[in-house]
Amino acid sequence: MKVRANSIGLGLLVLGYIFAVYWVFTRSTPVVSSRPVTIRLAHWQIEKGPPDGVDAIIRRYEELNPRVKVEQVLVPGRVYNQWMRTNLVGGKGVDLIEYGVWLDGLTDIPARYFEPITEAMQRPNPYNRGTPLEKVPWVLTFTDGLLTQRVSAPDPGQFYAATLTEVSVRLFCNRNLLKEITGSTRTPRTFAELRVLFREVTAYANRTGRPIHAMAGARDNATWLLQVLLGGSMMQRSQRNDRHGTLALYNWDALGLYLDGHWSYRSPEIRAGLALMREVSLNMKPGFVQSLRDAATQEFLRGDALFIFAGTWDGTSIRGLADFPIDVLRFPQPTKDDPVMGPYFFGAFADGGGGTAMEFYLNKQSPHQREAIDFLHFMTSVEGSQLFTDHSGWLPATREVRIPPDIVAYKTPLDCYSFGAEYMTIGSSVNAAILRNFYLLTGAQGSVDRFVEAMEAEMPAAVRSDLGKEIANRGIIVRPQDVRIMAAAALSRRSPQDPNLPLARERLESSQTQSEALMLQMSRQLAVAGPAK
Amino acid sequence: MRSVRPARIILSLLIWPLLAAGAGAPADLDPAWTALTNSRPQDVLRLLRRDASARAERLAWAAGRIGAQPASDASMREAEAVLAELAPGPDEIAAEAAYLRARIYQMHLSEPDFPKAAQQYAELAARRPQSHWAQLGLVKLGLLKLYLLPDSTDPAADRLAPAEALLPRISEPLLRRDLDLQIGQAGIVLHQPLARYLPHLIAAEQVGGITGTAGEDLIVQIGVLSERGGDWARAREYFERYLANYPTNVRAFTIRQKLEAVNRRLAQEGGA
Repeated sequence: MKVRANSIGLGLLVLGYIFAVYWVFTRSTPVVSSRPVTIRLAHWQIEKGPPDGVDAIIRRYEELNPRVKVEQVLVPGRVYNQWMRTNLVGGKGVDLIEYGVWLDGLTDIPARYFEPITEAMQRPNPYNRGTPLEKVPWVLTFTDGLLTQRVSAPDPGQFYAATLTEVSVRLFCNRNLLKEITGSTRTPRTFAELRVLFREVTAYANRTGRPIHAMAGARDNATWLLQVLLGGSMMQRSQRNDRHGTLALYNWDALGLYLDGHWSYRSPEIRAGLALMREVSLNMKPGFVQSLRDAATQEFLRGDALFIFAGTWDGTSIRGLADFPIDVLRFPQPTKDDPVMGPYFFGAFADGGGGTAMEFYLNKQSPHQREAIDFLHFMTSVEGSQLFTDHSGWLPATREVRIPPDIVAYKTPLDCYSFGAEYMTIGSSVNAAILRNFYLLTGAQGSVDRFVEAMEAEMPAAVRSDLGKEIANRGIIVRPQDVRIMAAAALSRRSPQDPNLPLARERLESSQTQSEALMLQMSRQLAVAGPAK
Repeated sequence: MRSVRPARIILSLLIWPLLAAGAGAPADLDPAWTALTNSRPQDVLRLLRRDASARAERLAWAAGRIGAQPASDASMREAEAVLAELAPGPDEIAAEAAYLRARIYQMHLSEPDFPKAAQQYAELAARRPQSHWAQLGLVKLGLLKLYLLPDSTDPAADRLAPAEALLPRISEPLLRRDLDLQIGQAGIVLHQPLARYLPHLIAAEQVGGITGTAGEDLIVQIGVLSERGGDWARAREYFERYLANYPTNVRAFTIRQKLEAVNRRLAQEGGA
């Protein structure tokens, strides 16, 4: 008996050993990578779609570049800010990092930790060889010429990031529910028609006792809508306030114009946008400001809301998870005869479209900057961007990429006014004040007046604080440039045959002067502005 | 034990000349300057010595001291002392040192001393007018005059004129372009008449080579400001240029509307 047990034990041991040997030689990762360079890129787009798109890019890139291994690091949005800050401070940040200027409390990050990629942006993307973009400078291969990114760049003379997708905001409609409520699948074309539909949905909910709302509600979705509405209602005033003649409003200028008394939350145009927002929010679930976008998505997917106003970044998830047909439409805009916004009507306005996002920045501390830029080139080339679009269901940021028919509706044609001004995310303090007081606008007991008064009580200090941060952040960039300029000049004297060194010095000098002048303009604004002290 | 001591002495005698030679030989500064371009000033402080005999080495050390973090007024004073020693010399290093010294007073102290920075830029330009650093200093001096000196709160002061007076002294076209651009932008911020600042913007744009947002913005600005000033032909020229260069930009829709309006005005006036 004992011998038999021993034999079984020995047999199991041998089997286990054979299995382990098989596993080691066929399945496991080599102890030493055959690729000497590993670069990592991190982002928070963990929705359905983008990770698959980036994976597809990585697979192809690794085929083309056997020396380099690329790892995608997915970090949930809820911890992204802390994750990024601690990693960068600790000198352990990944090579390519997604960043957005609206991220709370992180406005100093680009200046401190990211490396400009201006020189590379002036030259064609080498991975675009054989495409219509072969000879086009990298910056001009993006559908928006990187305008959105540059508007928020800490240094007006430098490029800092490359983008991967074009984003817009759209109204996603549950077609079955629309037919059930209205007897038709016709979607509203104007805000007036939307108002009629709101009433029909309320009547239907009362009649059937079903807890249905016209709009899925969450703070995120509502604030995205408010950005669109304020951008539209303020379009006329934005044009009038455009003292620089740039047809775009930079955050620092929006802050300065506030201090100069050129706009406030008491401005009638802003009040009109806020009034429209209140109208819409009363058709959302009560208390929605406590919820984030996942809650709104679930509400819509359960069939408890007719529409969800969401970014196209949520489109793949929403359409992939819904068990009903979905129509995608642009948010119905007010017209000239609208009783609320009509007096301030300027024309059709941009609904988040045209700008590109999912912007990747190069970490100054990356030990593999050359390889990281090379990967960024491939990622944003026609081939890389096509792979991303096909596997993610997100729009491309690169020109000449074929857009699959099912996401064509996400694309905003150049048929409307865009000023890049939404009077909300113009600074972290202002944005925080809006989020703090948002319930006063959207709650059952709220009103435009209550929101406006609460905001105007906070705005002077918030605006001054944000303008101060804008100045400080530019200082972080400008000061180290002095010694870099000196160093570029010294190296260029020692290697006169290298044409890039004097060019780099000239550009650095020029962009430093621009940033410095901007700091002086903003400081003067803070010093001389009267009403908001 | 007795045999060890003579051995030590002999060894020291052999090593000493090598150490002395090493200490006196000028260091290869390329690694130091490369470290500075890569934003690693702390490496420079490890590589170089403050009291090196070579002037170039001391300049690089001072640059490293300015760039090293954490920055403090004490570290700036330390760098400034070295630069003050180098600045009176007859060579290009002297001009570089004088320029960096002015930058310390303008940008790197916790309480900047703008008049002192301006004085040093002016002295450098008087002493070595054709040095690149003097020319760059004039651009920085121009910024100080536009926004800060002598008194930024006097509403009656003509703030553009002192900066404009510096332009003829700047012979490097790209630096002159940069000051022209900033005089133009300051004219807007300081509420000057269009005719006063628009020519500066046009002059800057004609030199070209402005990177980043500023270059693209400038084309839009000249178009829009020309339209405001009633110069339809110039507005049309710049709007058309913008649409040719940036056809898919989100501003293109607005600019197309403006171009149509300008073309109508030109047709009315018979200038189409």
